[in-house]
Amino acid sequence: MTLSVFWLQAGGCGGDTWSFLNAESPDVIEFFEDHDIDLLWHPSLSTLHPGELSRLLTRLANGDQPLDVLCVEGTILNGPDGSGMFDELCDRPKKEIVEDLARQARFVLAVGTCASFGGISGGGFSEGTGLQYEKWTPGGLLGASFKTHAGRPVINLPGCPCHCDVIIGMLSAIALETPLDLIDYNTPREWYGIMVHQGCTRNEYHEYRVEEKVFGEKGCMFFHMGCHGPLVTGPCNKKLWNRRSSKTRVGVPCFGCTRPDFPQHYPFFETQNIEGLPIELPDGVSRAHYMAYKGMAAAAAPTRLKKRKTGI
Amino acid sequence: MSSKRIQVLPVNRVEGDLKIRIEVEDNHVTEAFSIGMMYRGIEKIMLDRGPLDGLVITPRICGICSNSHLAAAAMALDDFYKAEVPPNAVRVRNVSLCVESIQNDIRHAFLLFMPDFTNPAYADHPLYQDALTRYEPLKGDSTVAAVRETKRLLEVIAIMGGQWPHSSFIVPGGVVSVISVSDIAQCRYLLGQFRKWFEANVLACSIEEWLSVESLADLQSWLVKDPAHQHGDLGFFVRFCERAGLDRLGADTGRFLSFGSLPTPGGRADKSGRSGFLIPAGLVGQDRGEDFDGGLISEDISHSHFDGAPSTHPFDADVTPKKPLLEGMAYSWAKAPRYDGLPAETGPLAQLLVSKNPLFVDLLNCFGPSVYVRELARLTRAAHQISHMERWLGEIASDNGEFYHQHGNVMDGQGCGLVEAPRGALGHWVRIEEGVIAGYQVITPTTWNASPRDVDGNRGPMEQALIGVRVKDPENPIEVAHVIRSFDPCLVCTVHAVDLKKGQALPPKTIG
Repeated sequence: MTLSVFWLQAGGCGGDTWSFLNAESPDVIEFFEDHDIDLLWHPSLSTLHPGELSRLLTRLANGDQPLDVLCVEGTILNGPDGSGMFDELCDRPKKEIVEDLARQARFVLAVGTCASFGGISGGGFSEGTGLQYEKWTPGGLLGASFKTHAGRPVINLPGCPCHCDVIIGMLSAIALETPLDLIDYNTPREWYGIMVHQGCTRNEYHEYRVEEKVFGEKGCMFFHMGCHGPLVTGPCNKKLWNRRSSKTRVGVPCFGCTRPDFPQHYPFFETQNIEGLPIELPDGVSRAHYMAYKGMAAAAAPTRLKKRKTGI
Repeated sequence: MSSKRIQVLPVNRVEGDLKIRIEVEDNHVTEAFSIGMMYRGIEKIMLDRGPLDGLVITPRICGICSNSHLAAAAMALDDFYKAEVPPNAVRVRNVSLCVESIQNDIRHAFLLFMPDFTNPAYADHPLYQDALTRYEPLKGDSTVAAVRETKRLLEVIAIMGGQWPHSSFIVPGGVVSVISVSDIAQCRYLLGQFRKWFEANVLACSIEEWLSVESLADLQSWLVKDPAHQHGDLGFFVRFCERAGLDRLGADTGRFLSFGSLPTPGGRADKSGRSGFLIPAGLVGQDRGEDFDGGLISEDISHSHFDGAPSTHPFDADVTPKKPLLEGMAYSWAKAPRYDGLPAETGPLAQLLVSKNPLFVDLLNCFGPSVYVRELARLTRAAHQISHMERWLGEIASDNGEFYHQHGNVMDGQGCGLVEAPRGALGHWVRIEEGVIAGYQVITPTTWNASPRDVDGNRGPMEQALIGVRVKDPENPIEVAHVIRSFDPCLVCTVHAVDLKKGQALPPKTIG
């Protein structure tokens, strides 16, 4: 069965598209063939003339041509003064086009943190929001109660950028009619039911609280370097990036880019702390027990970790 | 009978939406306005943030050159902290910049530029069927190969920096990663595989043989020397352009700027650009010497939707966006960067001309800065970088030195990071006061190339290159698309005509 997909880029950097092109086994082209995807429009992969695009948009908006999946990447820019004219397509604000198409599509996917929650260009002068959230708050462009005519909310696939396996996996689940369980903020459990640091090669350092204080040192980056790996969800260390590695594996702290408040308002590369203990602890842990546990873990740390004799 | 019409060409983006408004009279472009269409306010987002936050925020300006933004942000902080960057870190940075540049060039060529050869306008071109086989979107042989090969090459950045796009592994004082022996071995393998594909399919000869082509005459004899040369994508491009007249289409003012890039590991870079970089800094096409002086860069906002001082050095920029008006001079969200008061083209051709590459100096003399010359520079740029990447990887393997050198803390000051991104000159200027960012300015290569006019009425390079272009079919102005795409201004350009009677927002009336 053919699956029609319309990919719209709103106020973003295009990074989700380039991440999508990282996909392997299948790559993007193999995937389109394999699942008989009819890519109606993608700004960097289509050659449709704007006249044709304009007519296609009209047919889709009127329901004259069915649309299975609307993918949106980038922040919805509402500025200036709510007009949406900071970002337009075919002489219309893109936000209106998104509203039109979202009403007709069976599935609406917010690809990346910008489309999900507002992301880098959220708020401020650009008046940016996500499709159905504005940071932590339901609403956004389409409103908290929005459901597609097939009865589904916007499915959020956050990440800055979104991992290619998540995009391919989500489209493939739709093509194969595999039901996916949605958890907090309407993200699929399949990829967002795991903390980012699961699978990080620095986890033994984390376990014994052997912490990095200077770039390039071996150690866990949670206590001093601002790493969000134990705090936020995402498949970075399970799926790996470009099939090879992850930021935390090479020594770049996780910046929590899947979280609705990304980018955080406090400085990156440092952990907000009181008396050396992180203010924010993994969701649901008891602070007193956590402090006791980390103190004992540090005391029990093996010498090879304390002397940083491991490979990473 | 004279017929005048205005056409609007939306250009899809990576680092900002672009729209071109042209006026066509008797099938010739008589006016062109390059309109930056999207405002995201990244520079405003940076204010009051932590000093290192540019390393996280600014790569997200652009999905296809995020590593170049990261490098520029880190180099601005190197400058601010007066951090020493160990040779191994320079090597890692250089390799990552080259990888990003090469993936951009190949994707630009095979996903964005060449698909125009399959446009119905070329149905009668003798190479049209061949073009379809190669470049049909999502199906063409070269298109499929480009998707496969670029993503494999990008694994090199993931090995060194964790992921592509949007890592933050380059920091003031070096890189955070420690590259192991097996990491290097894998990077060398990936680069070796890419070289094989590039030589077999794009050049259809060895890199060394291609680099011995030093003039138009050499190029013509190289092309006929071996039938294979004509069938590689490079030879095909040369033959297609010649027949389609792209060799003389789309000249701008011929002023070329490079900020200099890829410093010699362990060397001392000369800021005027005369030594210390693989890609030198400089300006070609003016009378007063070619030495580079970063103090001559300014941004003009006379035709942009901003309030503030009319023209400032990026360190002094303090502008506020204002609501776009349909009347008045302003027509773009892009500012107009100027070097010594005048516009300049930047990108692969500029890099090769500033490097005094004999082939491109000769081609420029023969054809001027045309679509063909600009695009040929991009298609072959990898040939100038691959052997240096191999050398740097080898040097990392034999050098036991550090990848990061800790610097002292600094609370107040400023720093400037200049680099050559895939599309050319990229600069970051940061001002830090009491440990927080008090000013941050970014000038991207596309801002140079797709610049609007300045206060003296000088058009930006892309605007200038469009003047006089002959449009055979105003319904399908493929020639205009070629000129725009030859600047690689971020992605697909598409075209439609606007009926003047409908009262569309008019172009600025007061342009002199």
